[in-house]
Amino acid sequence: MSNTNQNDLRENQAIPTVDGEDYLLEVKNLVKYFPIKGGFFGRTVGQVKAVDGVSFHIKRGTTMGLVGESGCGKSTIGRTILRLHDKTSGQVLFNGQDIFSLSSSELRKLRPKLQIIFQDPYSSLSPRLPVGEIIGEAVREHNIVPAAEFDDYITDIMKQCGLQEFHKDRYPHEFSGGQRQRICIARALALKPEFILCDEPVSALDVSIQAQIINLLRELQKNFGLTYLFISHDLSVVEHISDTVGVMYLGNMVEFAETEKIFDHPLHPYTQALFSAIPVPDPNYKMDRIVLEGSIPSPANPPAGCKFHTRCSKCMEVCQYAAPHWKEVEPGHFCACHLYNDAQEQAEAEQAIPAKAPAADGKKA
Amino acid sequence: MKFNDKDKNDILAAKLNEQAEAQTAVDTTAASEEAYSLNDDRRVKVLSPGAMVAKRFFRNRIAVVGLVILAAMFLFSFLGGVISPYEEDQLFYTETIQKKEYAGAVRNNDFRFLASGDAKFDSAIQAQVVLAVTTGQDAVTYRDTTYHVNREGEDFYSVTTDGQATLVGIGYKDVVTSSVEGQKLPFDLVFATLKAYTNDEDAFELGGEQYTIAEGGVVEKGGEEVAFVSRYVINPISPDIFLSRDFQEQLVIALESGADKFTFTDENGESEYFIDYKPDVKNWVVRQETATRTYDRYAAPSAKHWLGTDRNGMDMLTRLMYGGRVSLVIGFIVELISLIIGVILGGLAGYFGKWVDFLIMRIVDIFYCIPSTPIIIILGAAMDTMGVDPQIRMLYLMLILGFLGWPGMARLVRGQILGLREQEFMVATEASGLRVSRRIFKHLVPNVIPQLIVSCTMGIGSTILIEATLSFLGLGVKFPFASWGNIINDVNNTFVLQNYWFIWIPAGICILLTVLAFNLVGDGLRDAFDPKMKR
Repeated sequence: MSNTNQNDLRENQAIPTVDGEDYLLEVKNLVKYFPIKGGFFGRTVGQVKAVDGVSFHIKRGTTMGLVGESGCGKSTIGRTILRLHDKTSGQVLFNGQDIFSLSSSELRKLRPKLQIIFQDPYSSLSPRLPVGEIIGEAVREHNIVPAAEFDDYITDIMKQCGLQEFHKDRYPHEFSGGQRQRICIARALALKPEFILCDEPVSALDVSIQAQIINLLRELQKNFGLTYLFISHDLSVVEHISDTVGVMYLGNMVEFAETEKIFDHPLHPYTQALFSAIPVPDPNYKMDRIVLEGSIPSPANPPAGCKFHTRCSKCMEVCQYAAPHWKEVEPGHFCACHLYNDAQEQAEAEQAIPAKAPAADGKKA
Repeated sequence: MKFNDKDKNDILAAKLNEQAEAQTAVDTTAASEEAYSLNDDRRVKVLSPGAMVAKRFFRNRIAVVGLVILAAMFLFSFLGGVISPYEEDQLFYTETIQKKEYAGAVRNNDFRFLASGDAKFDSAIQAQVVLAVTTGQDAVTYRDTTYHVNREGEDFYSVTTDGQATLVGIGYKDVVTSSVEGQKLPFDLVFATLKAYTNDEDAFELGGEQYTIAEGGVVEKGGEEVAFVSRYVINPISPDIFLSRDFQEQLVIALESGADKFTFTDENGESEYFIDYKPDVKNWVVRQETATRTYDRYAAPSAKHWLGTDRNGMDMLTRLMYGGRVSLVIGFIVELISLIIGVILGGLAGYFGKWVDFLIMRIVDIFYCIPSTPIIIILGAAMDTMGVDPQIRMLYLMLILGFLGWPGMARLVRGQILGLREQEFMVATEASGLRVSRRIFKHLVPNVIPQLIVSCTMGIGSTILIEATLSFLGLGVKFPFASWGNIINDVNNTFVLQNYWFIWIPAGICILLTVLAFNLVGDGLRDAFDPKMKR
């Protein structure tokens, strides 16, 4: 929080605190369904439940990692938070303000505070604008800096992001992938954001560049007091950069905790399976992988009960019928799994099991 | 090579001097050198996408050829019309020699009769005389009177009564006419002339006067012409022509000598006359050669008209220049109209999607269903009947073609924008809260422009073809305005096609070259705009 601009902003806005904590972003039970249109008249015949009730919060100046398989709704959450998609229900609070309650002009004013870095540095830069314009056009649009300081400001931002001043007049096609990603970061940073959604920012880059970009992001966070939501497949990257980690499966968050806690002892069977797949750079290391069977079910028709039960190695009978509660299993370590039910919850969950002859084959479904 | 020590020393000293100077030069320019050092920014030339496109385009030789052809065509059409000494619809005339029927001549084979004084010599007697001559009798009796038929010369007879005492009249085939118009010759003179003429005598005496008969039958008295004798009867072909005595003489001389033409000078100057014998009616037709001012039609290429003249006697080259102007302007304006409508509607459909897209695309579908050729033909015919001014007609033509052409453009733009709208850089502009107008015009439109340029370039070529087709069919640009299409329209029969190459080949080449050039340039631009092309 060394940056003066950020401090100015904090003085201007009343920062609501929850439980004495300073949360920049709070997501409460966010739901995003995409309608499936079908039939001759284009009626909605079904819904893709991309995000099906997700809650989390990010402290100011920290990074939250969001991991999960492809198609589990990570990117959809990110874009719904930025209101690039409309929500179906739920709440997104940014500095205590519900983003979805804003009018479009208010939203436009808020836009610079919430920025995004894309996965693909090739398609995310307009091919017909010079880099200086790409970085600077929104700065000018929102009058982030006075016109007189504009050039110096852009130069400064570019230097912060490891770009040279003369790159301003060049066009995106003249840059490598890593440089392009720096341009994307500079574009986001130039608007003096408080929150940056990093939507798999390094997965299109080679490993050496990945490290550069990750380190750049960390450095910028240190300098500007940024808050990140870092979406990635790459668990080692997430472990490296994140303060807290959320694990998603098929539109639901299954586990959320501080990075050390979740990597030390993952609670949810899915998290355990996922983390067991982290490669170890040691040829003699015998990996004890938990291999998940089958593929991720369709989010348009998710399984009843716990969505993970079709692939879970520890599946119980209740899992097939009752969805597990999202609860704090350990202090600061949230999880949604029937394994951690207390007696009362277990009893409630078992009520969901249809009254029929007790299944002979018991736990394994 | 051999140096002495002094030389070596000199060389060394010079070298050291040089190095020292170079060093000071480096020192003094050190500051400026920093600016010109081989920094990354100095070494790599920065090219904007436009410059890159131009560079790639000019590497494509065929496309450059197309561009050169286009430039030449533009110069030819727009500058040529100014330079050309002639107007677009200036008519040229020429003097042509035409043979017009002038007079008719016939050799007289019927007897003509002339009564002597007041003698009774009616047609019944004349018939008896003819009968006597043909049967070889020397006397006929008619109503108790005996008429003696005396042969005086070749086809010349005198008729007497009362035992040769009284001369009743004469029968003859050679015609004697007075040299003075309308004057009747005295009987004695006719008699004497015929007597001499039929007996091939060239002089006679009458009343103490000496007459001569010159060649051709001119009867002169003391060197003065008084009459003319001839076997031929000459009449003008129409009453307004007066055949002078001289002319008739000339004609008779020509007829007798068997010539087929002769020259005669009258008050209008010298002309040549052609004589045709028509055996079926046994007469001669005389034709006069006269100079007539006519349109200089289908004139062959010459120094005055480099590509000849057309059916109307207008300069081909000038028509081609003005025609190019019309064809190119129509091509551009039509394409501009479809571009404006297409970009606006396609852009709206692509950017806003949903029902706007649905509505506009259905309109496009409807426009695609319109059979454009019949519509244009019907409208052309309607304008013909309404007698629309050719200039306004040209305007209508552009509007109609433009309105029929936009759906393709709208589809292209919509497709491009639909694709671009989902690109991440457009999401980024939304995330950074840019205005909608800026997002459309700074981010979407510049990315569609390459396709538009290519499509328009090709489109102009095909519009020129459509215009040429319509003008060829007589439905497009109308006379007096030229267009390459209606120039070719002159070739509406094989005779013109075979004999007047300069009418249709240059216009055809112009159309071919221009359309080809537009297509080449369009292809070149398409390749140049494609960033994957690394030629």
